[in-house]
Amino acid sequence: MGSVGFWRKELRIGLQDDRAESTWLGRLDARAKLVGILIFVIACAILTAPELVYASLVISLGISAVSSLRPAYLIASYAAALPFILLAAFSVTITVGWDRGALMIARTSACVLALIVLVGTTSSFDLFAGLRRLGVPKVLTTLSLLVQKYIGLLGQELSRMTTARKARGFRGGKSLLDKYALRVISNTAGMVFVRSAGRADRAYEGLKSRGFDGDLVGWRQTRIKSGDLAFLSVLAAVSISLLALQAGLIA
Amino acid sequence: MKVLDIQGLSFAYEDGTVALKDVSLSLEKGDKVAIVGPNGAGKSTLLHLIAGFRTPFSGTVVIDEKRLDEKSADSLRMRIGLLFQDPEDQVFMPTVKEDVAFGPRNLKMDDIDLRIARALSTAGIEGLANRKTHKLSFGMKKRTALAGVLAMDPSLLLLDEPTAGLDPRARADLISLLKEMDKTMLIATHDIEAVAEVADRALVLNIGVVARGTMRELVMDREVFRQAGLEMPPISKLFEVLKVMGYTITELPVSMDQAVCELTKVIEEGGSHTHAHIHEHDHSKASDTHPHTNVNRVHRAR
Repeated sequence: MGSVGFWRKELRIGLQDDRAESTWLGRLDARAKLVGILIFVIACAILTAPELVYASLVISLGISAVSSLRPAYLIASYAAALPFILLAAFSVTITVGWDRGALMIARTSACVLALIVLVGTTSSFDLFAGLRRLGVPKVLTTLSLLVQKYIGLLGQELSRMTTARKARGFRGGKSLLDKYALRVISNTAGMVFVRSAGRADRAYEGLKSRGFDGDLVGWRQTRIKSGDLAFLSVLAAVSISLLALQAGLIA
Repeated sequence: MKVLDIQGLSFAYEDGTVALKDVSLSLEKGDKVAIVGPNGAGKSTLLHLIAGFRTPFSGTVVIDEKRLDEKSADSLRMRIGLLFQDPEDQVFMPTVKEDVAFGPRNLKMDDIDLRIARALSTAGIEGLANRKTHKLSFGMKKRTALAGVLAMDPSLLLLDEPTAGLDPRARADLISLLKEMDKTMLIATHDIEAVAEVADRALVLNIGVVARGTMRELVMDREVFRQAGLEMPPISKLFEVLKVMGYTITELPVSMDQAVCELTKVIEEGGSHTHAHIHEHDHSKASDTHPHTNVNRVHRAR
C-alpha cells in the first residue's frame, strides 16, 4: 500500500513537481527550456563514442542535481521510464553485445533525465504554451492539453469510485480467479468512462460558453530574459561541444 | 427592453425523455428571476438550452431580440454568462487572473486588464489574482468562475445552483454579491431562502411551469409546493406556526430579512410587545394542558 501511495503521489497527472515552481529552473521561460533541452537530447541521441555518451549522462545527472527537483520525484519518474530503457538495452544487447547495451542504457538515461527535468520544472500549461509559441500547430497543443484534462477527469472519477467501493466493504481484486471482484472492477471501469465522458462534455460546454476558438494557450505572454538566454546558451554550447568532440573537430 | 423571451419551449432528449414542456418566460433588463423545482425538473436543461447547448427544440427563444437556433447559438452565447453548478467544469487556466481573462481574450475584447480588474473586484477576489486555480477552495473556485463570466460583460447571467456546495459563510457572501449585482439574472436553484433574497420573482418548474409569482406568493400556496416536490423554508414554517397561534401574518416570509420585517409589523400593529418563555411541566393532571404545545407558550401582553 505504501509503495502504491508513493507512486500515486510522485507520478500524478500533471507531472510537475509542485516545489519546482519557485526554483530558478522553474522560473525560466518554457521556450528556453524546451529548445535548450531538446538540443541536448538530440545531441545525446546522436552520440556514439562511449566516453562521450557517459559524459552526457554525467551532465544530465548534473542538470538534475541543480534543478532542485526532489530526489524522490526524480527516482519515481526515472523508475517509470526504466522498463522502456531496459527493453531498448536488452534488444541491443542480444543483437550487438552487452557493451552496446550498457551504452544504450546510458544514452537513453541521459535523455530521459533531461526530459524529466523539463517536465518536472514546467507546468503542463506552460509547456504547451511554449510549444505553441514555438510554432507547434494549435490543434496539437490544444488537443494535448484537453487529453491531459480528460485523463485528469478519469483519474478523479476512478479515485471517487474506488473510495465508494471500499466504503461499501469491497475488498476483492487481489486475485484474478475472483470472478465477483473482476465483475465489480470491470463495471467500475465502464462507469468511469461513462462518468468521465459526461464531465468532459460539461467541460467542453464550459469552454464554448467562454468563447473558446480552438486555441487554449495562444495568447500566453512572457518575455525571454537574460537568465533564459544564458540557460539556453550553456546547454546549446555543451551539446555542440559534445558533437564537435565526436566529429573530431575538437581535439 | 426584453433581454430574454421564451415562448412555448419544449425539449426532449435523444432517448425521448421530455425535459421541458411548453415553457414560457420573459426577462426585462435588470430582472432577477429564480427557477425553482425538484431534481430532474429541467432547470439546468433550460439554462443550457438558453446558452445554445441543447438543440433542436420547439418553441422560440429570443435573446436580445435575436432568435436562438443552431446557427445563431455560437454568436448569442457570447451575450450570455453561464455559471455552471460545478466550477471544475468551467475553470481551465493555471491562475485566477488568466482564467478570468480567458473569455475576453478568446473574444478579442478591448481593455482586457480593466475587465479583469473589475470582474475580480465584483466577485470579491482581487487578492487571489495570482493564485493557482487548482489550489483554491470550492467557494473561491465558484467566485473565480463567476468573475470569468462577468469579465465577458454578458447581458444575461444564467446561474445554475450558485449556492450548491458552499459553506454557510461562502453562501451568505455569494447571496449578498448577487443581490448587489446590477445584472439580468436567471437563477436555477433548490435554495429557496437564497433566491428569496436575490430574485424579484420566481417560477416553479417541473418539466412545465407549475406556478409563477414572487417567492412569498409561491410559498403561500402550499399546494404548488407540494405538487412540485418542494419543501417550505424553515422560516416560513415558523411563521405558519405563529399564524396558527393567532398572530396576523399577511404573507409568509421566505428569508430572514423578510421575517424581521414581518415580525416588526406584527408587533407594531398590535401596539404591543412580544415575549416568550419556556416552562417545564408534565401532563399528569387532566387540567394541565395547553392549546399549542406542552413545553412552549407564547404570550402577548398588552
